[in-house]
Amino acid sequence: MKRLQKQTLLGIRDQFGSYAWDDAEIAELVDPQLGIITGFQELLDQLELLRKVDLGSIPPAADISIK
Amino acid sequence: MSSQPAFATIGELAEQMRQGELSASSLVECFADRIKTLNPTSKAFISLDIDRARARAETLTIDSADSLLKGIPYACKDLFDVKGMVTSGGSRVLANNIAQHDAEAVTRMNQAGAIFIGKNNLHEFAYGATGENALYGTAPNPYDRSRLAGGSSSGSAAALGYGLCAAALGTDTGGSVRAPAALCGLVGFKPTFGRISTEGVIPYSWSLDHVSTLTRNAADATLLFNALANKVNPPATANLEGLRVGIPENFFFDRADPEILDSIDVLMNFLSDGGARLKPVTMPSMEHTRTVSLTVQMPEALSYHNRYLEQRGELYSQDFRAGLALGQCLLAEQYIRAKRFIESYRRDMDSVFEEIDLLITPATPVIAPKIGTVEVTVDGQTEPAGNAITRYTSFFNMTGHPAITLPCGMHSEGLPIAAQLIGKHHGDEELIATATLIESSYDFEVPLPVTN
Repeated sequence: MKRLQKQTLLGIRDQFGSYAWDDAEIAELVDPQLGIITGFQELLDQLELLRKVDLGSIPPAADISIK
Repeated sequence: MSSQPAFATIGELAEQMRQGELSASSLVECFADRIKTLNPTSKAFISLDIDRARARAETLTIDSADSLLKGIPYACKDLFDVKGMVTSGGSRVLANNIAQHDAEAVTRMNQAGAIFIGKNNLHEFAYGATGENALYGTAPNPYDRSRLAGGSSSGSAAALGYGLCAAALGTDTGGSVRAPAALCGLVGFKPTFGRISTEGVIPYSWSLDHVSTLTRNAADATLLFNALANKVNPPATANLEGLRVGIPENFFFDRADPEILDSIDVLMNFLSDGGARLKPVTMPSMEHTRTVSLTVQMPEALSYHNRYLEQRGELYSQDFRAGLALGQCLLAEQYIRAKRFIESYRRDMDSVFEEIDLLITPATPVIAPKIGTVEVTVDGQTEPAGNAITRYTSFFNMTGHPAITLPCGMHSEGLPIAAQLIGKHHGDEELIATATLIESSYDFEVPLPVTN
């Protein structure tokens, strides 16, 4: 998996029907400088590991049935 | 019993009222006076409803058949709707958001006779465990004002800790009630997912949010739970003899303050001496649990807040906006996969609970950090302060198991230490009963904070 690029997130913002996040906010997600948010790239790396786990037929979690 | 009504338990206050030694009106006045004096320091309340509380208290007559909650002043985190009051979420975004109805939990408390007195400060929209709030200030810990009360239900913990109400409602999405309760020497109870309605409560993350309670002891948590729960099971009685207590072999005792671990050891010995059977258990892999939780939280938060972003987006704090922006950039399959991991965690934990009756862990790996702390380091590993505070609690929001944190000792730095007990799904009553039995031992009493 390639490293996240600012252009990718700008594309999501501009082409996917998203709230108009500031360019600076998008830049912060890709390359945190202000300490406001950390680790989006790290999160994506983790998610890539999870993608490779075979969960079989386990469905998404739903409510916990009431006894 | 505390000599001060402001620090008495609900059980003690109810007894005094039934003996004619205390009236609901005098109790409301006691808390109103203290709020006036201490709210500038504690930053516990965002808004007050004292006039209506006084009027309600004046009309109350209490007899022995009434709920013990009758006449008891309580507060709620400012995510709960109270008709006619602003529900701000601790944010500029909803500064004019006047509720048309009471939240279901508020309705149930009022039906039980409890008296609502005001709304508590919080981390903006419950996004964060440090309880820092640029608009309303950061609630300090009642045991040490240079330290955090913890969050996100920071004001609710401070309100009890500073003796400004007798009980409080909060929400717990990753530990936001249990952790501040633990840091402030209180009892935080998160029920089984779905047992208390979240209707009329601003959501942070629908599939992880739990309406939860902060009280001075576990017996009081029972009173609130009985009033709030959708369905109340028969009362449970706790017996340590033969109780199967699981001790996690992985994750839950790692990278913790040694004094916290020592206190949990004392508690485990108490359980063992009482006849409980301590059993090491292997928990599911915790390696990716924070990733899974975050991947569910942020898209859900964004989906709710989308209604406000276009018109009032600039009013959100910078850090919450960043979190919402992150939620925008996750893929649908990543969200669904995270939900499937949660289901797999639930199944794993159901297997664990086939061999035990409850699980014990420390509530937090650290005592209350100093206000302004960005990161904490334990055993050479550094992590964000908010992550550390909720490291042992957030997993059980995903699995939906009931969990309670209760004080079990004092740290040499003068701050409370707490344990966490986790029960089976819908085993809420048994869980609180066991916590009540533990707290009946004076071994685990913590001193009251000095707040005046």
